[in-house]
Amino acid sequence: MKNLMRRAIPGLIAASLLLTACEGGSPGPGSLFGANTVTVSILYGSEKREWLEPLVAEYNAARHTTPDGATIVIEATPMGSIESVRAILEERMKPVVWSPASSVYIPVANAEWRKTRSGDLVVGKPNDLVLSPVVIAMWRAMAEALGWPQKPIGWADIAALATSDKGWAEYGYPEWGRFKFGHTHPDFSNSGIVSILAIAYAGAGKQRGLTQDDLARPELRAFMEQVERSIIHYGSSTGFFGERMFERGPSYLSAAVLYENLIVAQEKKRLAGQSAQLPVVAIYPKEGTFWTNNPYIVLNAPWVTEAQKSAAQAFEKFLLDRPQQLRAIELGFRPADPSIALGAPLDAQHGVDPAQPQTVLEVPAAQVIQATQQLWRQTKKPVDVAALIDVSGSMRGDKISSARASLTQFIDLLGDRDRLQVITFASQVIPLTPLSPLSDKRAELTRRVSGIIEGGNTTLYDAVIAAHQSMKENGDPNHIRAIVVLSDGMDTASRATLDDAIAAISDAGEEGGAAIKLFTIAFGDDADKEVLKQMAEATGGKQYDSTPDNINKIYAEIATFF
Amino acid sequence: MNRQRALVFGSIVGLAILIVVGVGAVRTLQLASGPPIELSILYSTEKEGWLNEIAPQFEAARPQIDGRPIRLKLKKMGSREMYLAVLDGAEKPDLISPASSLQASILEDMSAGKFGRPIVRANDPNLCRPTLSTPLVLVAWQERADVLWGGQAPDDLWKRLHNAVSDPRGWETLGRPEWGYVKFGHTDPLRSNSGLQTILLMTYDYFGKTGGLTSADILSNPGYQKWFLEIEQSISQFGDSTGNYMKDIVAYGPSMYDLVAVYESVAIEQAANAAGRYGELRVYYPPVTLMSDHPFCALSADWVTPEKARAARIFVDFLLSRPAQELALNKHGYRPVDPSIPLDRADGPFTRYAANGLRIDLPRQVETPPGSVLNTLLDFWSRNAQK
Repeated sequence: MKNLMRRAIPGLIAASLLLTACEGGSPGPGSLFGANTVTVSILYGSEKREWLEPLVAEYNAARHTTPDGATIVIEATPMGSIESVRAILEERMKPVVWSPASSVYIPVANAEWRKTRSGDLVVGKPNDLVLSPVVIAMWRAMAEALGWPQKPIGWADIAALATSDKGWAEYGYPEWGRFKFGHTHPDFSNSGIVSILAIAYAGAGKQRGLTQDDLARPELRAFMEQVERSIIHYGSSTGFFGERMFERGPSYLSAAVLYENLIVAQEKKRLAGQSAQLPVVAIYPKEGTFWTNNPYIVLNAPWVTEAQKSAAQAFEKFLLDRPQQLRAIELGFRPADPSIALGAPLDAQHGVDPAQPQTVLEVPAAQVIQATQQLWRQTKKPVDVAALIDVSGSMRGDKISSARASLTQFIDLLGDRDRLQVITFASQVIPLTPLSPLSDKRAELTRRVSGIIEGGNTTLYDAVIAAHQSMKENGDPNHIRAIVVLSDGMDTASRATLDDAIAAISDAGEEGGAAIKLFTIAFGDDADKEVLKQMAEATGGKQYDSTPDNINKIYAEIATFF
Repeated sequence: MNRQRALVFGSIVGLAILIVVGVGAVRTLQLASGPPIELSILYSTEKEGWLNEIAPQFEAARPQIDGRPIRLKLKKMGSREMYLAVLDGAEKPDLISPASSLQASILEDMSAGKFGRPIVRANDPNLCRPTLSTPLVLVAWQERADVLWGGQAPDDLWKRLHNAVSDPRGWETLGRPEWGYVKFGHTDPLRSNSGLQTILLMTYDYFGKTGGLTSADILSNPGYQKWFLEIEQSISQFGDSTGNYMKDIVAYGPSMYDLVAVYESVAIEQAANAAGRYGELRVYYPPVTLMSDHPFCALSADWVTPEKARAARIFVDFLLSRPAQELALNKHGYRPVDPSIPLDRADGPFTRYAANGLRIDLPRQVETPPGSVLNTLLDFWSRNAQK
């Protein structure tokens, strides 16, 4: 049930975005183009957003038509590759085209589809749009400390470093602290899936033929648990993870599993003076890696019409045409069209080596991929989270009731091993429960949350400082530690100032990306968004704007970090 | 470019001559008046580039029979898809052109089983006319082939390949651990002719034969079955079409495949793209091989009227004309069936890519087994090796 919820709710976020795009109100693309249109909806992995978004706009502006004279309208929505296929399988979303980051998950998608329907969701071998290898992105200085580029580095080396108590001290750099590693959430993102497959291969000492028996071995389980301990947090998309790494620098994250194109894009920015960050390089793991091939899949689903199919194929042809493929190289992708030469910026100056990778890891069968996901859910880094709820007088009415309901759903998204504390604040800061495993108190907690009532002033800064202090004392530094703050108004009654609060929660120091994260939700129009943003960003967390209507979706998105 | 224009022009002239001289029944000067004769053709995907250029040239020359113009209705398909569509009646073509006579034999065998008489006759030169020729070859990254077998493909190529792909230590045993496990590939034999040719060559090699393969060889020899399946199980993904498989080895580089079994023609088509990309890609000829002869087979079916049968002959004559054959050679890498067209022209692909291992003289060919034996092999493969 929990896993189902975990998958279902974030999908709703994007589903509602897609619906908003299609429905009335402001004129959508459909109404602009008049009645005789054929709309092709596309769900695609976010790593190719920079390439695809302008091409969609360009294609729509040119008003291409089908042989029947209908104008083709492309509506493309970026979404984690695994998250999107879950939504398709559950028919919460019904796009014409699915373009995940890679083909790795297609066998799983087909196996799931066949459980309740005949035929495959993905038929044959779809065309690749653009290519990019999965790499370990690491700060150049750190890669050099490991012997890069002379010494080949592999998944097993990264795992050893991630699980070492000494961390960077082992390589003569104690000042860098522990090795801080990151990959995305395997229930949402393609790079999350391939990361856990690579970790499983490293644990099994194999490069192909991973089996369910391998995954059942206690040593492999222990290995995965250890590697996952070094993860700072998860995340719903690879593009986002890259941005986070390149914004916050080496103290936040030592290395992350990303795609080669994201490194090229970052290095281009840095070389152009648009990023003050240190150089970053791609490590091509010596045991082998996976490719992202961005397949363009016209779904074999009952909701796809013949007209949509042929319009989708017309857009595919446009994407594979030479000018669009050349543009992909500029953004750091390798072209799918073999008649286009590999050249700058795919070079050492931009942190990558087009002669790599030398080998790949074998993509396992569907049931082995699913078993790896299952093992990960059991071994993932646990979470210590405090939910801090503003219950001041201004929360009266809709606000307090939707806050209660969404918090209950948030509790459902967490696993039994996760620990949760609920704290309310108004004139006073009141912990409703201590930080303890959910398994012992899920029902009790739900009951307490439903009894939350509003009244009093807002002591936001005091509450944040208190919650942070409590998490520092009671949280386990080996867990992902986070505070989720929901507030609907200005601080009116704290003794502390904003500066005091920021000083208390900043992630400066050795912990870096493993420090306690603050996620803030500005609830309604009166919330002090700027203050919440400053506090969230000081910790490496994120600020969200929300209303009583979509608050549950915001909580769900925050849960992808865990 | 100029050469290409010359070819196009040449082929139009060629067609005019053909129509005026070669086909007496056709009155070329009379304007078409009757309803068109539509010629429905199913063909294997590798020929798409060639036929897309030829078809407009054919129609532009206004071929007709008794004042009725001939129109082409071309549809590309995988070989298996093609004969399944014919067998279940989903398609009623007048001509089919699988990649090789092997495939025509399979349809002959299956249709005899289903209808009591064959719908095609693979070995009747009047009904199934080969139009192009290309051998099955191995394409490998030269650096890696050098480690596997040195400069030329050895006589025990398949045995070495078997040992390399089934070795759990992979390239490490051969001193190159950084290359991982040995990655060989071929297309899905149920969907693509080159895949069927590959598993047939491997099977012949195991039995040390070049002819006389029987269903009993395949079904009752556990040693063969083990050996064969060890190779097949090492292949992570069987390609859907030979052209796409060849594109993949060029686009992804050596990380994805060390070597693949494909047609010489697709290797030639991609040779310029491969140059300077990920190191040298080279063609290796197995000790014995199979040719793909791209037959155009007229169907023995009640919907093929005498006019359609005549139109089919006119179209196939056009495909066999010198300009059409030269286009196939120079642009698409096929060997012409017209023996008077030289392969060793200085600007031809066999000269241009000689350094990539291309050669004009061919290895010996194995015998094409009867359709029933091919079906036994395919059936064994689909039960035991299909992913």
